Amino acid sequence: MIGPIPLSHVLLASGALFTIGIAGALLRRNAIQIFLSIELMMNAANLALLGYGAALGTQQGQILVFFVIAIAAAEASVGLAIFVALFRHTESIDVNKINLLKW
Amino acid sequence: MERVIFDAAALVAIVFAGLMVAGRDPIKNVLALVVSFFALAVTYVLLLAPFIAALQIIVYAGAILVLFLFVIMLLNVGPERPDGIRRPVQTFLGSLAVVVFAGLLLGMLRTSGARLPAQPEAVAVDALPDPRALGRLLFSDYLLHFEAVSVLLLAALVGAFVLARRENAP
Amino acid sequence: MTFVDGAIVVLRVVLPALILPGLVIPLVWVERRVAAFIQDRPGPNRVGPFGLLQSPADIIKLFTKEDVVPDSTDKFLFLLAPSLAVFAALSTFAVVPYGPTVRVAGKVIPMVGADVSIGMLWVFAITSLSVYAIVLAGWSSNDKFSLFGGIRSSAQIISYELAMTTAAAGVVLAAGSFRLTDVVAMQEGAFRLVPFVPRWNVFPQAIGFIVFFVSAFAETNRLPFDLPEAEAELVAGYHTEYSAMRFGSYFLAEYINVIVASAMTATLYFGGWSLPGFHPEGWLGGLLGLLVFAAKTAFFVLVFIWVRWTLPRFRYDQLMRLGWKALLPLSLANLLWVAVLAIWRGSR
Repeated sequence: MIGPIPLSHVLLASGALFTIGIAGALLRRNAIQIFLSIELMMNAANLALLGYGAALGTQQGQILVFFVIAIAAAEASVGLAIFVALFRHTESIDVNKINLLKW
Repeated sequence: MERVIFDAAALVAIVFAGLMVAGRDPIKNVLALVVSFFALAVTYVLLLAPFIAALQIIVYAGAILVLFLFVIMLLNVGPERPDGIRRPVQTFLGSLAVVVFAGLLLGMLRTSGARLPAQPEAVAVDALPDPRALGRLLFSDYLLHFEAVSVLLLAALVGAFVLARRENAP
Repeated sequence: MTFVDGAIVVLRVVLPALILPGLVIPLVWVERRVAAFIQDRPGPNRVGPFGLLQSPADIIKLFTKEDVVPDSTDKFLFLLAPSLAVFAALSTFAVVPYGPTVRVAGKVIPMVGADVSIGMLWVFAITSLSVYAIVLAGWSSNDKFSLFGGIRSSAQIISYELAMTTAAAGVVLAAGSFRLTDVVAMQEGAFRLVPFVPRWNVFPQAIGFIVFFVSAFAETNRLPFDLPEAEAELVAGYHTEYSAMRFGSYFLAEYINVIVASAMTATLYFGGWSLPGFHPEGWLGGLLGLLVFAAKTAFFVLVFIWVRWTLPRFRYDQLMRLGWKALLPLSLANLLWVAVLAIWRGSR
């Protein structure tokens, strides 16, 4: 219990966000949408980390989230650069159409 | 009182995340995600992490999502149109995976739920902590991590620059 | 929490939010008269005494003009963007201390909207959100000039945001806290070795002040960095397609941004509401502190106006080169200098 916020509420919210993120990543065709869903999943993980950090009364949760945010920034920039380069070659960001390595 | 605000903010985050996943126009989806991240920042403050909340808005909502917006505008990605190809296996398996995962998550929450490991130095924190404490930790116990992440950011910077460059034959 | 406490909190937050847009009306008049003075012409002097009613007349005109929403625009984003601009401009002021903490009738009232431990970070967070207002306006207008203006402006804002944040990091380092009331508190009094000079941050961190102030011009899209609005080149940049009160919202947001940027400069580098030898007591002290703060902010607003009508506009590549190759290294050098000063002061 962090003050009046029960940990189960935090975990439930985090789980719901993560599930929505997985649904988006598995069921969408647009590469940018999939990437956005992955970012959502990372934020869900951040929420869970902070929830546990506050429940255990330690700053470690915040430190971990700090690093996760920094790494997410690095990953987003490289990922989007890859999309831009890919788009220049295939003129499409539908993930079903990017299948040049198929047999 | 804090619980009500937390529940409301979490609900807003979840609703807008759902809108983001279900929407067709990428720009509106990015905006929905911005609202969702803002609501998450509110929850972070309630979880006694104001510095992380500010970072969330500055970095995630204010930089990463702006980058997404720029790329969407650069590639002129319009609203998604259904392309008429039915993909029954993919849709079925995807939905099955989501349902199974949700079930697993709920099951885990129900059984082990909010049980915490035995903490010898459990400190009750009820005031908003000062960012100074975070800074001290960052530069003492987590110094290696800090330096490693800065090298990672440099690598990402160079990588993004090289990948997105136009390959003009000189 | 009694009703009076609640009312005090509400007033602390709501009064600046209401007063700031109100201040824009005389500010527009001041800008036009000062511009006219610099350009050796009279300026508005017909409508009311000294042209004072010109601004209210313009407001009435903006409210009653026909609101044209072109068909080819993305309506939702088009209508959302101006409100985002005003929201961002007003929210930034929430953490700026506009007066000392006074004790009135037994109640301690800090004269700041929200005295959070992450005050400075809040300002930068909201500034990064203001990019959305501009980029969405440029995109949703479905118009080449707007898109150019929107993209240029957002690239300009995020570039100068870096230099501005690093310059402000120097102030944070010197104050040891993100809280803006702490920043003002460490600038109280005068220097030990030079007794008549107030202990303002501008003196040890002059370079940081210059970087911050120049970046503020770029952040608020004011000349010499107003290429995104480029009145002669891009029609009206990102707000070309907006008419009547939607354009009015952007206009309002720009002037509020100018006021807030001046207030931030006064708070970070010139001691906010404090003066050396001034120890405010009671409501009179609060009022005097507020007046000092207002005077400093007004001075910087005048500098904003003065520079606008004096310097020519930067070309876009010159603008980007200045931000990345000149201001950012300077702000990093300033940070290094402040770190050296902090270590020297700590070891004394």
